[in-house]
Amino acid sequence: MGSFPPAPAPGGRSLLNPFRRRFRLSRETWVPLAFILPALGYIGYFAFYPSVDVVWLSFQTPFPAAFGYNYGSLVQLRLWSAVENTMVVTAGALAIQLVAGMAIATILTKEFRGKGVFSSIAILPIGFATVVAAFAFSLIFPAVGGYANSALVGFGLPPVDWIHPNAQALLTIMLADSWKNTPLVTIILLAGMTTIPRSLYQAAAVDGAGPVRRLFYITLPNLKRFIAITLIIRGISEFNIFALPLILVGNHPILLTVLVYNLYSPTYPAIYQDSAAASVLLAFVAVFIVIVIAMGGTRR
Amino acid sequence: MKPLRPSRIALYVAVGLLGVIILYPIYILFLVAFSPAHFTLDALYPPQVPHAFTLQNLTLALHSYSLIDPLLQSLQVAFLVAFIALGLGIPAAYGLSRLPPGLAYGITTLLFIANILPALTIVVPIAAEFISLGLYDTAVGLALLQELVVLPLAVFILLGAFQSIPREIEYQARVDGAGLTRTLFGTLVPLAKAGIIAAFLLSWMFSWDEFTFAVILLPIHPTLPVVIYDNITRGNLLATTAFAIVMTIPVILLTVVLQKYLKGEELAGGLKG
Repeated sequence: MGSFPPAPAPGGRSLLNPFRRRFRLSRETWVPLAFILPALGYIGYFAFYPSVDVVWLSFQTPFPAAFGYNYGSLVQLRLWSAVENTMVVTAGALAIQLVAGMAIATILTKEFRGKGVFSSIAILPIGFATVVAAFAFSLIFPAVGGYANSALVGFGLPPVDWIHPNAQALLTIMLADSWKNTPLVTIILLAGMTTIPRSLYQAAAVDGAGPVRRLFYITLPNLKRFIAITLIIRGISEFNIFALPLILVGNHPILLTVLVYNLYSPTYPAIYQDSAAASVLLAFVAVFIVIVIAMGGTRR
Repeated sequence: MKPLRPSRIALYVAVGLLGVIILYPIYILFLVAFSPAHFTLDALYPPQVPHAFTLQNLTLALHSYSLIDPLLQSLQVAFLVAFIALGLGIPAAYGLSRLPPGLAYGITTLLFIANILPALTIVVPIAAEFISLGLYDTAVGLALLQELVVLPLAVFILLGAFQSIPREIEYQARVDGAGLTRTLFGTLVPLAKAGIIAAFLLSWMFSWDEFTFAVILLPIHPTLPVVIYDNITRGNLLATTAFAIVMTIPVILLTVVLQKYLKGEELAGGLKG
């Protein structure tokens, strides 16, 4: 910023340099900027520098090899199935969380006996660590036996292996993740609902609109911004979902993050690190695409 | 007493059903923790209701595994993260609330891009870097990384809090002769108390819960989540229940406190910016 425009003569305002006035930071701007600088410097060093570094590392090899060798070797390590599973879990968990969060937030806008207790229960899973949630769900949904199967058998149904078939394993991950994270969605949507004027609903009721029409013509359009925020925040976390699949199902239907963790080694010049870096980069690109789609959806 | 309308009945059914679904995993956790193992983990199809009560699982686990070290490590990291969040977040949020909207929007976006970067992307090269810096396997190193996820959220909440304070109050303080730092810390910070407490508690709770950075960065002196994971992989499920309960109790208490400060206005305030 300092090199252009060239340093002006001391004192007078240079007529030769029309940029000077536009580029000069006023006191109103640089004082607040100075307050922000430590946070920005921190983010730059701990977020942006490593992300550039990881891309650079992903193209390094200890021996001369074809460009993109690390990426090629990842394909043999079930990269595509990891990408596919990650996509499925993200979409499924987002759908469950939005519907459940919407339902709970709608309930919390109404007045009823026991509302205080219910709102405390609704936010309770926030207080449970992800590993604890994963552990509780591993007791309910194991491969053999467990509490879900004990209920199924009690109703005379056959038991289910919740871990090994792909579909069941991904469902177990989605359920555990949704249990843990729906409260956050509920809080954001509820904040959005309190901004919708009640008069809109009263007018709609007078015009004879039922609850379904009110949901689609008043609540959802007015919540658009809040839903977009929820999708972005949760969508990114879903791509990064790590502790839950690691504890619940381990390596079997492998997710991207678990793949990275398996390859991880902090020592140079381990080829594994490069592979890990390569796959992490891919995860980042995937996350970015989701955000772009989400943003594009709200611009309409 | 007048009879309930059908819509009321549907509401109560939904409330009951959702309540049961949310409470069920918690109930199972406590059931396994306080029942003899042959009714729970050792049974193929364990009964859904408690048959006997015991404290033996917990006492056995607490005697045979060291809980103090990971507990202290977790506490240390969580407090570091929460204080750094305020130390960097309060000035940044104040600065953002006083910048021209376009510039503030750009900087906020930059913060959130940092938040979007996957934890595993960051931790892989940083771990190698931390080995040479002497930050590998230290509480400070972990706190610095966890801060990445916490800081944008903290700034977001604090920004909402600062924006809700009328500018006139700040001008008044300046007119009365208070300098910039005194205005910020003497006048504005006390007024933004609710937002600051919310940011502190959320940062603390996030760190307490964090697993990805911790499992890679602190292999020798792990935090509680990593110890729980290690015990699950080794099959020490009863010990895991004990640790899980120890880990959960402080957060449940904090959640109750937090609820008072997080009524949605904080988040909504940030969104309006």
